[in-house]
Amino acid sequence: MRIRSSRERRILRFKTTIRWIVYYFLILLSFVLMTSGTWLKPVLLVPVALCIAVNNDLLGSAFTGAFCGLLIDIACGRLFGYNAVLLTVFCVAVSLAFELCLRYKFINYMWVTALVAFIQCWLDYKFYYQIWNYSDVERIFSRVTLHVWLYTVISAVFIFLIFKLVNHFLMPKAHLTIEEVIKTC
Amino acid sequence: MREFLKSTRFKILLAFVAFLIGIMIYAVTKGGYAVSGASFINTATKPFRFVSNSVSMKIESIADKLHNADQYYEENQKLKAQIGELNKQLTEYDDLKEEVEELRKFVVIKEQHPDYIISQPASVLGYIANDPFKSFNIDKGSAEGIEPYCPVVTAEGLIGITIDVSEHVSTVRTILSPDLSIASVSSSTNADNGIIEGSVLTAENGCTKLTHLSLEHALRVGDLMITSGNSGLFPKGYAVGTVKSLGVEANGLSAYAEITPCSDITRLGSVVVITDFSGKTPDGEVPSAADPEKEGGNEN
Repeated sequence: MRIRSSRERRILRFKTTIRWIVYYFLILLSFVLMTSGTWLKPVLLVPVALCIAVNNDLLGSAFTGAFCGLLIDIACGRLFGYNAVLLTVFCVAVSLAFELCLRYKFINYMWVTALVAFIQCWLDYKFYYQIWNYSDVERIFSRVTLHVWLYTVISAVFIFLIFKLVNHFLMPKAHLTIEEVIKTC
Repeated sequence: MREFLKSTRFKILLAFVAFLIGIMIYAVTKGGYAVSGASFINTATKPFRFVSNSVSMKIESIADKLHNADQYYEENQKLKAQIGELNKQLTEYDDLKEEVEELRKFVVIKEQHPDYIISQPASVLGYIANDPFKSFNIDKGSAEGIEPYCPVVTAEGLIGITIDVSEHVSTVRTILSPDLSIASVSSSTNADNGIIEGSVLTAENGCTKLTHLSLEHALRVGDLMITSGNSGLFPKGYAVGTVKSLGVEANGLSAYAEITPCSDITRLGSVVVITDFSGKTPDGEVPSAADPEKEGGNEN
């Protein structure tokens, strides 16, 4: 993005600040929803972290991934830092992928979220249940893990729409030069 | 005047007055019931009087409203404020009543087991997301004297054990979890003992499982299982659950029973933590150390 005046710079700074405040408000809201009730719930923080990663720079994505991961650890009673490491890696990878080879489209976001959520759920099942060799442990995979993954993928649709709305109003628009426009065409 | 007194009109008037006095005396003798004439008049004029009265009341009411509108408005505002205050008091009263009910239950624990040192009632902050064994967080932690591996109970029965204690929040592993094993004995026979340990299958129904039960057991459905207190991790003689069904293990070497916990673990509001009791394992001797697979503590 080209910044042409100090006024544009101020607007950019203001919009970016507000955007990140909204992002973190949505993250905390997702955390609260995840910790309420006794039913199976989607791991909302995974699609939220990925949605932020597909739109933002590497560093912001990594930090947000770590923060969301820590919140997942608290909500799901996992080893503090376990999901933080996972989500940091995933968010960096997703941010890079969208920067280098993927376009910001709904379908791309959905398959990436489905894949990451599945890996996260599968690793959770592997390390927290299967590794301890409980009898009938596969029931947890079919009755809990897969359900949670499915709910997470479904919730990603709504999360994408919410973030699209936030970005529509608060994401700074790129100014292209005539040469860049000609090149893009 | 003399002429009037002698006249027929005067005599008629006098007779009429006498008649009225007669009616009056008659009415007095009726003992509260209306005389037939009055009754007739009342009945005949009732609908008219009703309509007339309604109309006049309406008019009076409108006039009264117009005349005293300011006064009524003020009175209305006062009453609204009063209702608000009373509703607030009612809500506080309900909260207090609920709290007292909860405390009363926990007082019973202290009365029945004077050797227990119990924490203040702890509220359940929330269940661990998507945990099939219903672990949950409580709003009391190390600041309130809670340590890891303290038994968590309600007045009805044992719930689980604290596993992850921070300053003001603790995580409780429930008796539905396969990671928690409790040596228990039947309260009726005091001979049939085994290990209560959760399983994936029983946890789906909010139940746990009694294993290592002798094939010659005398347990019946409905029997109460209590802690045997062998390991010092749980106090002796605390209710765990009742026998729901009985069966023989697939290997045929021992029997098992499905146990319904005394408290509904999926719907807990508050619990207490037993921080000390007679026969407790001294600090540092956590049973989990003996079995690395059961980090929540085994009572074998």
